[in-house]
Amino acid sequence: MDFLTPFQIALTLLANGDPELMSIIGLSLTVSMTAVATSLLIGLPLGAILAAYRFPGRTPLIVISNTFLGMPPVVIGLLIYLLISRAGPFGFLGILYTPAAMMIAQTVLVLPISIALSRQAFEALNAEYAPLFQSLGLGRLTRIRTLVFEARATLLTIALVCFGRAISEVGAVMIVGGNIRHSTRVMTTSIALATSMGELAFAMALGIVLLLVALVVNIASQILRNSLRNFGHDV
Amino acid sequence: MTSDRQTSEMILSARDICLSRDGNRLLDSVSLDIRRGSITFLLGYNGAGKTLLLSCLHGLLELESGSVDAPPRDRQKMVFQKPIIMRRTAAGHLRFVCPGVAETELADWMKRAGIQDRTSAPARALSGGEQQKLALIGALATKPDILFLDEPTAHLDFAATKFVEDMIREAHAAGTTIVMTTHNRSQAERLGQDVLFLDGGRLVEAAPAATFFKAPGHALTRQYLEHL
Repeated sequence: MDFLTPFQIALTLLANGDPELMSIIGLSLTVSMTAVATSLLIGLPLGAILAAYRFPGRTPLIVISNTFLGMPPVVIGLLIYLLISRAGPFGFLGILYTPAAMMIAQTVLVLPISIALSRQAFEALNAEYAPLFQSLGLGRLTRIRTLVFEARATLLTIALVCFGRAISEVGAVMIVGGNIRHSTRVMTTSIALATSMGELAFAMALGIVLLLVALVVNIASQILRNSLRNFGHDV
Repeated sequence: MTSDRQTSEMILSARDICLSRDGNRLLDSVSLDIRRGSITFLLGYNGAGKTLLLSCLHGLLELESGSVDAPPRDRQKMVFQKPIIMRRTAAGHLRFVCPGVAETELADWMKRAGIQDRTSAPARALSGGEQQKLALIGALATKPDILFLDEPTAHLDFAATKFVEDMIREAHAAGTTIVMTTHNRSQAERLGQDVLFLDGGRLVEAAPAATFFKAPGHALTRQYLEHL
């Protein structure tokens, strides 16, 4: 295979606006962004609470969350599969081999990352702000809300890390999504399929497209960071 | 304190405050009274416990034992030695620390502090002096009953120090009780009405400023004043 061939294929696919490729990119972005948004919605407040307060069960919670950081994605995929398969406790939902199942798998995958990184960010910030918060007599909710706002630039970085982890995931989404054409096929599972079929150039071309998507997302976040700086944040 | 001083109305009273960390006694049975409307200086060497005592009086630290009878939290304010500045614009910082104070009033405070041109600048990009001014006006704008200042003029130049002292005088004239720490003897003599001298976590002497500086009653105080 010529080194430049994958690049040529990738450019051709993008330039032609290949409908199947566009659908795959669209589904990949939808699944991963929904998973990241959900994990941040759950993970950021949890991270803030773990950082700002001492309560019974806090340490076990941190240990469990950190353990999930090292959980292999295929194991997460298998767990979700067992839960949502027809015989599982959530089988009645009928979401196996649907994008919803893939979103759940990716959410579970990146949730520990959002909790661990946000806890770290909030701990540093809370140590700095705690005397002021206490002096102002702020309540718990106000403290957490303020910490989230003050850490907004760091949280953007956390969101990017989560997005990178989610969109590059293949094992778990393959198990719960099934890699069904026009239904649950995303970029990573397409790459796995193309590779297994010996279409290495096409697989590499998809990989390049994946990188381009990541590049666009990062540029967008950089623009957002700059606007946050103008908003008075020393990022 | 003298008998006529004991009859003055007290805004804050602390009794037998004790605080330890890692087995070390940092504050040892400190009892004191702060007169309403006074300017009281906490003096002592580095590590004597001045900042800790200030934090205890303001209610930031949990006491090991003892008690502090002070105005409600929303009627107290504290300015820290290293100002805690939010990650937002200077005006945004003021809005956060002065909830309920009108925008026009905050703008007026910034003008008085000479930082009206920095309203939209990131608060943390302000110079050290400007940040200290921002912290001070953030405390004063709410017109607290009692204001704790932890070395508010440390590292400030002459002009910024003068501004801070003018603001302290003005707040005092408006009825705010001031409790502050400093290592600047002339500042304590210029502004102070009462002085509390701490050494090794113990309150060694409490006296009117004039008495404290002219005729200190304790050997440790005399030794300290020789070093100032």
